This record gives sequence, structure tokens and C-alpha cells, in this order.
Amino acid sequence: MKQTLAAWLVLALWTAGLLALAVFGQRHLAVSADLRLFLPSPTTPEQRLLLEEIGEGPASRALVIALQGGAPERLADVSREMVESSATSTSFRWITNGDVAFDAFPENLLAYRFLLSPTFDAQALDRDYLSAEIAARTRDLSSPAGLVLEPLIARDPTLELLALLQRWQPTQEPRREFDVWFDQAGERALLIGETRAAAFDPDAQRAALGELERAFESADRDDGMTMTVSGTGGFSVLMEARTRGEAQSIGRAATIGMLLLLLVAYRRIGSVLLSALPLVTAGLAGLAVVSTAFGSVHGITLAFGFTLIGVAQDYPLHLLSHRRADLTASKIARRLWPTLATGLASTCIAYLTFLFSGVLGLEQLACFTVTALAVAGLTTRFLLPLLMSTRGPDYGASEPLGRLWRALVALPRPSWAGLALLTIAVIAIATARQPFWENDLAKLTPVPADLLAQDRELRTQLGTADLRYLLVVGAATEEAALAHLESIDGGLRSLVDQGAIGGYDHAALYVPAPATQRARQAKLPDADSVRAAVAAAQSGTSFRLGVFEPFIEDVARARALPPLTVDVLRGTALGARIEMLLIGAEGGTTALVTFNGVADPAALRAFGASHAGVTFLDLKESSEALVAKQRARILWSLAVASLLLIAVVSFSLRRPERVYRVLLPMALTTVVVVGALQALGISMNLFHLISLVLVAGLGLDYALFFEHAADDPAEQRRTLHAVLVCSLSTSLVFVLLAASSLPVLRAIGLPVAIGVVTNFVLALLMTRPPASSDARAR
Amino acid sequence: MLRFTANVLFGVSLLAFVARAAELDADALIARLGRETPARIAFAEARFSPLLDRPIIVSGELGYQGGTSLERIVTSPFRESTTIRGEAVSVQREGEAPRTFALRRAPELRGLLAAFGGLLAGDGPAVKKDFGVAVSGSDQAWALELTPLDARVGRRLKRILVSGTGNEPSCFSTFTVDGGATVLMLGAATDTEVPPDATLESLLGRCRAE
Repeated sequence: MKQTLAAWLVLALWTAGLLALAVFGQRHLAVSADLRLFLPSPTTPEQRLLLEEIGEGPASRALVIALQGGAPERLADVSREMVESSATSTSFRWITNGDVAFDAFPENLLAYRFLLSPTFDAQALDRDYLSAEIAARTRDLSSPAGLVLEPLIARDPTLELLALLQRWQPTQEPRREFDVWFDQAGERALLIGETRAAAFDPDAQRAALGELERAFESADRDDGMTMTVSGTGGFSVLMEARTRGEAQSIGRAATIGMLLLLLVAYRRIGSVLLSALPLVTAGLAGLAVVSTAFGSVHGITLAFGFTLIGVAQDYPLHLLSHRRADLTASKIARRLWPTLATGLASTCIAYLTFLFSGVLGLEQLACFTVTALAVAGLTTRFLLPLLMSTRGPDYGASEPLGRLWRALVALPRPSWAGLALLTIAVIAIATARQPFWENDLAKLTPVPADLLAQDRELRTQLGTADLRYLLVVGAATEEAALAHLESIDGGLRSLVDQGAIGGYDHAALYVPAPATQRARQAKLPDADSVRAAVAAAQSGTSFRLGVFEPFIEDVARARALPPLTVDVLRGTALGARIEMLLIGAEGGTTALVTFNGVADPAALRAFGASHAGVTFLDLKESSEALVAKQRARILWSLAVASLLLIAVVSFSLRRPERVYRVLLPMALTTVVVVGALQALGISMNLFHLISLVLVAGLGLDYALFFEHAADDPAEQRRTLHAVLVCSLSTSLVFVLLAASSLPVLRAIGLPVAIGVVTNFVLALLMTRPPASSDARAR
Repeated sequence: MLRFTANVLFGVSLLAFVARAAELDADALIARLGRETPARIAFAEARFSPLLDRPIIVSGELGYQGGTSLERIVTSPFRESTTIRGEAVSVQREGEAPRTFALRRAPELRGLLAAFGGLLAGDGPAVKKDFGVAVSGSDQAWALELTPLDARVGRRLKRILVSGTGNEPSCFSTFTVDGGATVLMLGAATDTEVPPDATLESLLGRCRAE
């Protein structure tokens, strides 16, 4: 480093600036792990609903809890205790274990049972019916069950409440032992909990999981009892932890590797530290800008951003490798600047196109990358030379490098080689057996396959709502939505009878449409008729006269009640369930029909098509279609970017043959990388695409620098040193990523790892004229 | 003289006999009640309730297979079969599907059945675990009063009264907190028909006298 006062001053100011940026970033940094940020932003209400359902729908909020390792009776006890503790829960709306609790329905709403129950649609509340019911209650009283039913009989002799509660249990009930749910084998007690927070909010989900742990610990359980929690929320916590863990370990390994590499390359700690300055500035500036512009940074953006270590590092490396005794650093920087700037501008243009992709995560990525690269380039050009001294090894004088250069340019480069490479790559792409594009979002999840299988198995046992299929019913008001649901209920029931679905759930099963409630109200006999019917039914039995007065009062009350709305049930466990099935918005109400045990999706699709106002939603299919549509948009922007790129390079290099020599390696590398990926059996997804852009940018950089090295042997050696160190440092980072266990990081790492090597070779071989003409020129 | 001695001897032995009968040990009494399994016994049951103006009277047969395995088969005035195996209760009525529920859902019922099972097994300490036991009367006419110790059971069940003669229990009377009661008459006690308008007092009196 230059030992002048000015240099030290610059260093001090720079460090101060870095600290300020760091503090700013720290305070404002919020890391998000919601994978939906890398899905297209919704533009239609249907797309919005789709994305909401994936992250926030009732099925995705459900956590399945399994208790095992104890006697079934004891497991049932613990199951009940956990449900009790959930009453005061902050993270869960409700936890249920199948126990039909009479207090699930609020006491003051008991009279509503006549409006909610379909019993009296076909059956009149008359003397004959009451006779049969009262006779049954007589027998119940004399049986052991009488001890339990006795308090209910006076107010509810027809046991309507019990019938309602049993109706609201899932149609496909799991096996019951001791009145709570168990798996088919009867060895694990099963519970379902619905979290308040969306599935893709790892912090809130972690809190929910913690709550479950505490409830389990404090329950009266035997040793050896264990609890397993499975569900989308749990997976997102797992994903976030693993992503963070891997990103950290990769970052550490990359940093150490990089330091070692630079020490070997430059042999002076001063150089290494200097080269770190633009990089750190770039990273912090990128973070600051993204935090300010977007409010939060996605974990993947962060991970990708820090892999830019391998790319932004190139700029100071070029400066350091071109150091020579007879020129000041500032002059060197000025000479390198056109080449540097061309490469920088091209890469930035390519990434800027992501700003128009309509995908929030990509926009963040674009913002981060462009800012970081620009800052790295500009600080290298203007600030770093102020600190660099002219002392230091001049790689232009290095004999080993000279020998290496001559050996490389002497390599045979038959003109058919490029064409051959292209052909092989194209064949690899054409003959690949897997689809070219990967549309399945599920492939991006790092959740281990066995956990996913376990989750599927538990959900099947419980008959919980299918995560994939939905029917969406839109209506102007809640009333209309409920009425519409009722009108399709018959059709849904026949689907169950046919075996196309195992069961279904919708809001109207709990709260009938007001019209239906009013119709039931009208059918109820008046107080006098009921009293007469009760008296007649009661005669001859042992029941005291007047004992059913509370029942008569309930019927009378029911005749005058306003229809039950979802609002009234708010705050109860039942209300929580209905709220998820009936979504109100300013534009209207959306009602959902969820299913379990879908055996025949085509029948559901046909059902949706044949009923007006009902839309069939296959979440997997719809999300894939969305991804494909957006990808088309991205590819178009990339095409535009390529044209701009060619324009920039042409403007910078002027001569067409120079432009051709520089662009060709880059284009060829892209095809080779795609061919390699296809040959490896990998379908391309969004992240592969992002990495390809990076590969192209790198290729352009190398080609530009090799081209610029011209005929001066010293310059050639310096350029070789620079590009060698650059490509080694880049490969280091991206090979680490390619070895990651997370599909997203692998998708970013692998193309670049392959691309760097290919770029280096092709850039060197294609931009330099053959050795013979080189010697002739000299 | 001989007559006088005989009288005295007789009187003394009578006294001794009476004295012995006066000390009744609860555990010993319960132990004597133990049945050999399997046991079948006829029963008649009268159910009194604040909801009813006269008792519901059923009769049939009880089966005891040991442990907590009980069977209650009602033959009159309707047919019903209740099977209790451990924690699961299954009720089947003529022409209907069987209904099952867990005793854990009904702690009062569980308490009652625990008492019943313990007595039939002759296991005094087991009964004492869940109930406070008070014994009264003599060998010919004894009464065991069981009061539940568990608060959940005590919410509905006030006390259980078992009365009998010698080794035979004749009546199990269950009293609930709201004023209802069930009088279960066993074996010989069922010989006499229960009148439809019987009162609780009359039946309890019958139990004491039997």
C-alpha cells in the first residue's frame, strides 16, 4: 500500500464509510425465507388466490402431530391434555384430536341447533318423532350411558347437538381409540393443529413448534413417549435453518479459500486486504440498497449476492495483477477501465432485465447485483488506485507465466473444434430424456424425501384436506356464497358416493345459507304445538310432566332467531375453521371447498366445469403454468438484453471481427453449459437461468481482457495471471455451491462452475490469434 | 339344673355369636363378596331421576368375566346388551348398530364400574383406592357405603350403597348429586317383582330387609 498521508486518509474515510453502511444494513436488514418471492407476482385475483393458498390456505397451515411410544390409553390422555393447553395458545387457532367435546359449541347458541341441523328438513318435529326419541332416551337413561346423557336430556331430548358435532367431524374419520384419533395401526395418537401464521413465515412457525414442544413436555407423559410434528410450516422452518446453515458454512469456506488463493497469487497480505475493500463495499452497498428499496432481503438473494464474491472480486484482481513499476496505479486503472467498464456494463445490463421480470425475488437479485458490481467497479477504478503503491511483483516479468502463455496459445485449435463442440452440445440437449424446463416448484424444496413421505402418510391417515385440489366459488356476498355452496352440495355428495373423492368440507356444512335457516325456522312448530306434541309423546313414559320445558323454550327461541352468520361464531374453535373456508374481501366473498382422499381429479375438474361460478383449482398445475408463463417473459427480456449487450460491446470495440471474437466464446459457453446440464439429467429452472446470465457475463469479461492484451508479451502475462486468479477464485466459490445439499444453491453453483472452466479455455483460444501469427507479428 | 346350664351355655354362645357378628371388617367383608369367574347373575334395576315421575325398571342378566370385563344384558322391557372391556363400553340395542365410547369420557361411570368390579373381585384395597369405605350392620344385614375420593367422579356420583346378607350382596344403590338414584337388585332379591310405582325408600327398605 502507498505510504502517503493522502493514502491513509483515503483508507480511513473508506473504512468509516464501510462501518456506516454496515450499521445501516444491520439495523434495516430483514431476511425473508418465503419461496413465493421467487414466484411471479400475481396479477389476477385467481393468481392471488393461488399464491395465498400455497402459503396461507387451511391445508398449508395445518400441522400434523403424532404421539408414539406409549400405551394407547396413556397416549390418548396426553393427546387430551395437549388439546386443553391449546385453549390459551397464541400460535394456534385450534388443535383437535377428534374428541367430541360438548363445549365446542357455545352454550348461548344452543338454540341454533334447529337451524343448523338438517334433521328436520325431511323429518317433521311432531308427536311421532318425539315419541321415538323420548322412548330412546328412556332406554339411554336406564343404561350405563345414562349417567353421561342425563344432564342433556331435558334441554335436548332429540340429542341434536350430539348429531351436529358428529356431523362436523371429518367424513373420513381416522381410527378412534378412547375417543381420540389414532393411526390405522392404533399405535400413534394423532392431532391436527392450525397455526395462526402462514406456512412460509418461519419465525412464527418456529414459535408454534416451540409451543407444541412445551405443551408436550409439561403434559403428564411416560418416558419413551415422543412427538413428531409434520407440515408445511415445520418444513419451512427446517428449510430456513438449513439454508442459513449452508450459506454460512459455504461463506466461511469460500472466504478462507479465497484468502489462501490470493495470498498464493500475490504473496503480500497488503494486496489481499486491499483487494477485499471494493468487495466488502460492494456487498454492503448492495444490501443497503435492497433493504431500502424492498424492505427485506430474501435468503436466496443474500446467498446469491455473496457468491458475487467470485465475480466482483475480479475487478480489483485485474488491477493488482496488472501492477507494474513504471506506471502508477491510477494510470493502470485508466488503461484498464474501458475493458473493465465494458464487461461491467454488459453484466449489469443482463441483470437489469430481471428488474422487469415481475418476480419480486429476481428484482431484489437484480438490484443487489447491479449495485454491488457497479460499486465494485467504480471503487476499483477511482478509490483503490489511491491506496495502491507501485511496489510489488510485476507479473509481466514472470517467466513461468510466459511459458504457460506460450504453451496455451500453442494448443491446436482446429477451426472445426468450435463447431464440433456446438454440435455435441445441441445433440445432448435434443436427446435429453427429461423435460427441458423444470416447472415443478416442489423440486426446489430441500426437505428430505423421507420427511415428505412421512407427512403424506400422516395426512392420509388423518384424512386432512388435500394440499393440491380446491374448488373456488365466488360470490358477491357471504349469503350468496353459502347459498351457492348448498346448491352444489348434492353433487359433491354424489362424488363421494362414486368414490371420486373421500370427503369434502365447505363453510355451508357448518353455517347454512340464511335462506335455508329461515326455511327451517318456518318449518318449526309454534310453542303450543310443540308443547302438545311433547305432552302426547311423553304420555305413558316415566318422564315427569313439564320436564322438557327447556326444550320447548329452545324451539320457540329458534323460531325467532336471526340467521346465524360466520361473524357470530368468531372467536370459537368452529369459527376459526369456517373462516379459512370463507374468505371475505372488498370485491366479494370467496368460498373454498377442500377435499381429502382425491382419487379422481378429472371428475372434480368436470364438476367444476359443469357448474357455473365454480372454478376447479389444481394448485400444482396452476403454479406450474404461472411459472412457465413468467419464464417466457424473462426469456424475452433476456433476448432484449442480449441485443443491448451486442450493442455495448460493438460500441466499445468498434471493429466487427473484434466484436465477433469476444462474443463467440460467450455464446458457445452458454450452449455448452446447457448441454452439460441436460446431459447430467437436470431440467432447467429459474435459478439455472440466473446463473447462465452470470456465466455469460464472466465469459465476456475474460474474452474482453484476453482480447485487450494485444501483442505486448508483458501485458499478455499480466492478463493471464489476472484471468487465472479470477477464474480460480470464481470456481472456488461456485464449486462449493454446486456441492451444496440445497437444490437452489446447486442450481446456482453448477452452471457457473462448468461455465468458468469452459469460458477460460474458449476465451483464451478464441480471442487470441494462433501462436504462429503471434510470433510473426512480433 | 341341667336345663339351667344349657340355657346359660346357650345364652353365652348366643352372646358370643352376637358379639362376633358385631365386629365387621370392611376388607374381610369385601373379600367374602368375591365371585368365582365366570359368574352370571340375574338382576333387576330401578332408575330414579329428577326427570322421571316413576322409576324405569329393567331386568336381565349380568355377566362377570373377571378383571374389568362386565356384561349387562337387558331382556325386559326391551333388549339391550352392554359390554365393558377395560376402558371401552359398547352398547347394542335391538335393530341398531352398536355404539362405543370410552370410559375416560365419563369419569363418573368409570368410578361406578371400578367399585362394582372391585367388589365382584373381592378386592378391598382396590376399592379403597378410589372410595372411602364405611361398613355398618351385622353379618346378616350389612351395608357398605362408598364415597368417591376423585373430584371428577364426585361431580356426579354422591355415594354407592351396597347391602347384603352373609356373602351375598343383594343391592347396589347409586346416588347422584342431582338427586337421582339407581337401585340394582341381584340374585335372590329379584325373585319378588318390582312394582312400577315403587319408591326409592321402599326399594331401599327392601334391600335392607333382604
